[in-house]
Amino acid sequence: MRPFRFARASDAEQAVALFNNASEPRFLGGGTNLVDLMRVGVETPAVLIDVNHVEGHDLIEEIAGGGLRIGAAVTNSDLAADARVRERYPVLSEAVLHGASGQLRNLATVGGNLLQRTRCAYFSDVTKPCNKRRPGTGCPAREGHHYNHAII
Amino acid sequence: MAEGDDRARIEPPVLAEITLRINGTEHELTIDTRTSLLDLLREHLDLTGAKKGCDHGQCGACTILIDGRRANGCLALAVAHDGAAITTVEGLADGGELHALQRAFIEHDAFQCGYCTPGQLCSAVGMLEEVRAGWPSAVTPRVNTSGPPELTDAEIRERMSGNLCRCGAYVNIVPAIADAAA
Repeated sequence: MRPFRFARASDAEQAVALFNNASEPRFLGGGTNLVDLMRVGVETPAVLIDVNHVEGHDLIEEIAGGGLRIGAAVTNSDLAADARVRERYPVLSEAVLHGASGQLRNLATVGGNLLQRTRCAYFSDVTKPCNKRRPGTGCPAREGHHYNHAII
Repeated sequence: MAEGDDRARIEPPVLAEITLRINGTEHELTIDTRTSLLDLLREHLDLTGAKKGCDHGQCGACTILIDGRRANGCLALAVAHDGAAITTVEGLADGGELHALQRAFIEHDAFQCGYCTPGQLCSAVGMLEEVRAGWPSAVTPRVNTSGPPELTDAEIRERMSGNLCRCGAYVNIVPAIADAAA
């Protein structure tokens, strides 16, 4: 894994400033996707900016008009277990509970979940070409093993 | 050669100072920022209970408790958990007295080779706390009801699905956990 510098942001302004002032930065949520991709050499950030402790972003709040605002640092577990989500948006709770494992859901965050990279095995395998990882190199999924792949 | 490896060879490691409370004892540590909690425990602190199976968050052999919640130690960067309280399988027993789940695993012969067992135990401890807190699972009949769900065998199997056992000791792991929870 490429060595990286690490910074923990305490509020949103600081997180954005740290990101804008760094070369090759990435935001870090639970790390269940990013750390794995760093380990296999697909992601090679020089700086990780930890946004798990950004003030107020670990909350699920009522908003005017009857909706909920879900903070980016809320874990998948806390989202799925939230009484208001279960009562008013049960499909969201059920969808989260059908993904990953209890251990991963305890680390994974809502923001990181939305920003995770493709789960395609060719993308995660640096010995294979991949148009998404290196544009123009090709896509083995077109001719090779692609069971469970989908184009939506 | 992996795409990221060239720079890994020429760039020096970045060190960070962190404090962790591990099984009740505070540790001040200087670590490479790349160090996972799993590698920190095993390679730096000689706490080899948590096991490295896949190192990709899929097998659960590395399961530990971070601030009371079960998590994969292999995907958790130690530097990102500065200040946390960590519990490993070594910290489950109370002095000479085994944890109820450890006793139940022995009584029910809930292992064969034992490699996955530390992860199974830590996962079960965290899982039972989640049930007590009323968290639903993918097989809970209705997620939009409150109160602790009934701990059926189907619930145990679903909730423990993040812990693989290549010996196939599941048939005894499930009743061991049910027994400890009763």
